[in-house]
Amino acid sequence: MVPQLSWYLALSAVLFTIGVVGVMIKRNVIAMFMCIELMLNAVNLTFVSFSSFFRDTTGQLFVFIVMTVAAAEAAVGLGIIIAIFRNRESLDVDDESTLKL
Amino acid sequence: MLALLFILFAGLAVGCAISMVVQRNPLYSAISLIGVFISLACLYVTLAAPFIAAVQVIVYAGAIMVLVVFVIMLLNVEEEDRAPLRLRSLVPISVGLAAVLFAETAFIIFFVHQSPATPASGLSDVGLTASIGAGLFTTYLLPFEITSILLLMAVVGAMTLARSGGLLPGKALVVPGYQVLAQEILDPSTTPDLAPIVERSSTEIEHELGVTGEPNTNDGN
Repeated sequence: MVPQLSWYLALSAVLFTIGVVGVMIKRNVIAMFMCIELMLNAVNLTFVSFSSFFRDTTGQLFVFIVMTVAAAEAAVGLGIIIAIFRNRESLDVDDESTLKL
Repeated sequence: MLALLFILFAGLAVGCAISMVVQRNPLYSAISLIGVFISLACLYVTLAAPFIAAVQVIVYAGAIMVLVVFVIMLLNVEEEDRAPLRLRSLVPISVGLAAVLFAETAFIIFFVHQSPATPASGLSDVGLTASIGAGLFTTYLLPFEITSILLLMAVVGAMTLARSGGLLPGKALVVPGYQVLAQEILDPSTTPDLAPIVERSSTEIEHELGVTGEPNTNDGN
């Protein structure tokens, strides 16, 4: 039995949902950041599966660019997290609900 | 065979993802996320996309997660404690919305016609490095170049954000996007030890150094 396209799409949807739930229920900034990475990966799985099932390379190029954006986001996001921690000594988003210092 | 592999790695990915959300220690969450990345890379291999699988392991499981784990250890994050639930009145609404979402998903799974497409076989060159490189440098050259600019901006932005001011004196006024003003670094009014700049004419300097500014006319003799 060969895996169908819908299997991969269902898996991607499940992973994306888990990521969304994580962003909503987590209060640690770093944990929320990792849940965002999980959502990006779920979308990447969708791209790759469509690319493979319809024999078009474009989807994998999209994945390549998404990975680059994710790397840039990781660098800047972790920089912001370090700056926040330096100012407030906390990583709880409830403590950081105002942007004011 | 492929179906077995799919079930194995899909189960691994979902299990690691749930573990990531459930764990309260961020370090355990990070390790679970690495598990998700690696099982997704294996799924990419079953989808005949070896290049993306390799990049997934190198960039995600390697670079990004090393950065995340480094920050977790640098900040010494402790386990988050359980806080009381807020907005308790919204719980019934959320249960209702979740039921609607499940109903929609079940409808799509059972009633929508499934695509007869099959995954690319080994004969296809869709996922190979050569075809990806050809696409990246011909049709999608402009996004590729924009990506490089994005990475450059990310490098500069991350350095600006994470710097603690150790490179500059405390008095220096740093405005993001502007150069540091020179007079802020070296303000003569606040540093009285600086010797005043003495202005001397060139003849005085010649006298001090013992040389004469006159051209030597005795060369021929």
